[in-house]
Amino acid sequence: MKNERVVFHGTLKQLFGKVERGDMIPKLQASHAPPCKFWTAFMVINGIRHTVPVIHGPTGCTYSVASAYKLRGCEYRGTPLEPTTCTSLEETNIIYGGEGKLLQAIKEADRKYHPDLIAVLSCCCSGIIGDDVETIARKSEADINAKVIAIRSEGFGGDFRSGFEDAFKAIIDLMEPPTKKMEKTINILGARIGPTYTEWVDDLDEIRRLVYAIGGKINAIIAGGCTVQQIRKAREVELNASWCYDWGQKIGQLIEEKFGVPYSNTGQPYGLKATEEWIMGVAQPLGLKNKAEQVIHNETRKVMDDVNCMRQALSGKTAIIEITEFPGPIRALSLARMAEEFGAYPIIVNIHPYTIKERMPSIKFLLEQGQNPEIILTKGLFSLGTFRSSRDTEEELESIASNYDNAIYLGNPERYPNIPVVNLTTRTGYPHYGYRGIKNMANLFRSAIKHSSRSRSKLYKRVLYG
Amino acid sequence: MMIKVMKETPLIVAEDKCHDPYLRCAFYGAAQTVMGVSGSCTLAHSPQGCYLLAERAFEWQNEDYTKTEILCTKLCEDEIVFGGENILTRTILDASSLKNPIMFVLSACGPEIVGDNISAVCENVSDKVHFRLLPIECAGFRGTQYDGIDIALDSILKNFALDKSKKRINSVCIIAPHANANPTWMADLTWVKNVLFEIGVDVITTLTHRTSLNEIADISAAEKSIVLSHDAGQKAATYLAKEFDVEQICHNVPLPIGLTNTRRWLTELGKTFNARHVVENLIPKGENMVVDQCRRKWIELYSISRLSTAIVADATVGIPLVRFITEDLELIPELVYLRSSKNVAGAIIENELQQLDLKPKVVYHTDVYQTRKSLVEIEPNIVIGSNIEKHAIEGLNTHYIFQLISPIQRFRMINREYFGYTGILNLLESIQNEVWDKYRSKETRYKARW
Repeated sequence: MKNERVVFHGTLKQLFGKVERGDMIPKLQASHAPPCKFWTAFMVINGIRHTVPVIHGPTGCTYSVASAYKLRGCEYRGTPLEPTTCTSLEETNIIYGGEGKLLQAIKEADRKYHPDLIAVLSCCCSGIIGDDVETIARKSEADINAKVIAIRSEGFGGDFRSGFEDAFKAIIDLMEPPTKKMEKTINILGARIGPTYTEWVDDLDEIRRLVYAIGGKINAIIAGGCTVQQIRKAREVELNASWCYDWGQKIGQLIEEKFGVPYSNTGQPYGLKATEEWIMGVAQPLGLKNKAEQVIHNETRKVMDDVNCMRQALSGKTAIIEITEFPGPIRALSLARMAEEFGAYPIIVNIHPYTIKERMPSIKFLLEQGQNPEIILTKGLFSLGTFRSSRDTEEELESIASNYDNAIYLGNPERYPNIPVVNLTTRTGYPHYGYRGIKNMANLFRSAIKHSSRSRSKLYKRVLYG
Repeated sequence: MMIKVMKETPLIVAEDKCHDPYLRCAFYGAAQTVMGVSGSCTLAHSPQGCYLLAERAFEWQNEDYTKTEILCTKLCEDEIVFGGENILTRTILDASSLKNPIMFVLSACGPEIVGDNISAVCENVSDKVHFRLLPIECAGFRGTQYDGIDIALDSILKNFALDKSKKRINSVCIIAPHANANPTWMADLTWVKNVLFEIGVDVITTLTHRTSLNEIADISAAEKSIVLSHDAGQKAATYLAKEFDVEQICHNVPLPIGLTNTRRWLTELGKTFNARHVVENLIPKGENMVVDQCRRKWIELYSISRLSTAIVADATVGIPLVRFITEDLELIPELVYLRSSKNVAGAIIENELQQLDLKPKVVYHTDVYQTRKSLVEIEPNIVIGSNIEKHAIEGLNTHYIFQLISPIQRFRMINREYFGYTGILNLLESIQNEVWDKYRSKETRYKARW
């Protein structure tokens, strides 16, 4: 590829260093816009059953998150329709304050919906006018049955990561001192049911299957469809583990520091090694090592054909990975590790520096674990506007792929470099995690290799790039 | 929330503080409107969450992402404390290489509360960029998405409509076609345009859908205006009448859904444009087509005739549906829950109910809680609504949910109108599919041998 199209070519560690020093922040203000803090805080709260969010703001923020997450949960995650409410702040409230309205709204929410928990979320409006949501939340509890928490989640108040973290912190405050120990039991941390489309319940199901297979139990998946009662009892478990360490790590470490419940600090279970690590990370502290070894042995045997297929597909190749937008940047890094495990040399293409900035603790953890894949960032990544960026990076990717004799592309069908394309966006590929994940991904690799000479859909290409 | 319940009793007004809304905010409505201007660039002067609202608006206008841009100033705490005007300036200048003819700068709650002067910023940078700039103050707290549509239309008209003294004979402008909860509302607009073409009327401007700036500039040459919504657009029609003598037509009748509504609406068009003969031909032709088609394909009233029904919809689709389901489908409307609270919509539906001798419970500006509560109380046999009601009727003895109103979790590649004669068939098709799907066997009683 022509060098003038490459903005960065180095290792993850080098990119991390540049981002940390502020060298890689794009000059264009409008490029790359993930959701705001409010949206991400809502995602977490949305994963607690019988909770009524009372959003202290106008209807736009409210209907938008309800439509994006609540309804999607109803359609695809088997959750019932539960309310997403707001105080419908208007101009008068902006001038005179909305605390009184909020107090009444909380009481009304309790009366109308009989929830276990009411979560007050502040928006830009209530944040700027200085409504004290925490005090109102505390005050309201005296008059109602539900527990009330407040999260300062103004959209401008932090990056999207801070919404997740503040919501998880608020959840920690609901955990009560333990009255007993739940033996061989864990919590799974960092989940959010029905939220972004980079997350699938299939992965959670695989983790659950493995935990029970080794003789463990799960108290709560926080916040992946758990109850308030499960959260209250969360300190009684022997161990916390993460579903996605990007979001689980922070809450896991906080619980460990605050309450002394150990946290199993492992990565996403992509491929054999990472899956073994995840299982043993749970089994050893629970005293289930022997059973776990047996499970690993049996499960590995069952997927040996698939493992061999993956080795055949990846061994000696350059794996060009481009899934940082979807299914997500951390999955891209997990996939790079898996590709390496099966004999490939991974290169991650176009992981946005903002993504690195927003995930500093997780990336740092990965680097400490010894993961340091090669990264290439191209100019197109920083182009202004979705279409320009998409078209430019498509051309750049083709150019990158042409530099390698024996490459395989792990990404999505929006790209079609002249090498085998593994479509990691199909729902049939889930779970990606664990042994079922190996089986699923092997099928995707088989199809990619077998059909690598087939031509691209002309229709789709014209739709995408004009 | 103001809830006006119309029955035999006087209006009941309740003051709720905790809402589960059906509607987005003014910022979204404004974004929906400006996205309808061809090749526009929308700059959300907001934190990143509001950018996602702008993206939803882009989808609602079915815009082409190769031609339309959405940008965001991504405001953070610093801009709220120190003001966001500098970052707005920078973002506009960053975009100077874009080829779009117009950039709409929409301000959200944050920058409006802290007092960012987006008009001043746009004025200061206007000579440094080649595109036109239109600032619109449309913070979410200014109202619902319908208010946002009115705000944006007001700005667009005041800034781009030129005073053309010469009227074009037999011409109209169409207002607010996008304030319509038919998920593929563009087909309704197309039907209206086709009808106008058949009776020899020119559509000078559509506010807004794939509308060029030149078309907006020409709007005052229109003789008449038609508002294609009972939820938004009335203010724009009033403005056009006052400023440019553009007379509004068809404004006291329900939009053309169902046989009678279509007949009335077409008749008024015919009268206005002195095209009675054309309309007198169109109406029987259309009605016969519907009857013929229904006779050949069959109209499924066996399953639904005389069943109690709830309509939960926007006023644009909901009001005309009342007559259609009563007269043409023999359903009994027991609940009419409308998402908006516009006075004009109230007058039309009141009149309709009187004429049809119906006394359903009517609620304006409903929210999901109000809807669910009434559905639980009344348990209608049929609900005509959206995906939200599909989930809201869970556990109730409601037999059918006809999902006709947005949001609908179905991908529709073909735009299908509800207006006019093919519109009747489209509605019947949706309804009949739902009826037959409802009682599909969920399990087999014994296993086949092969």
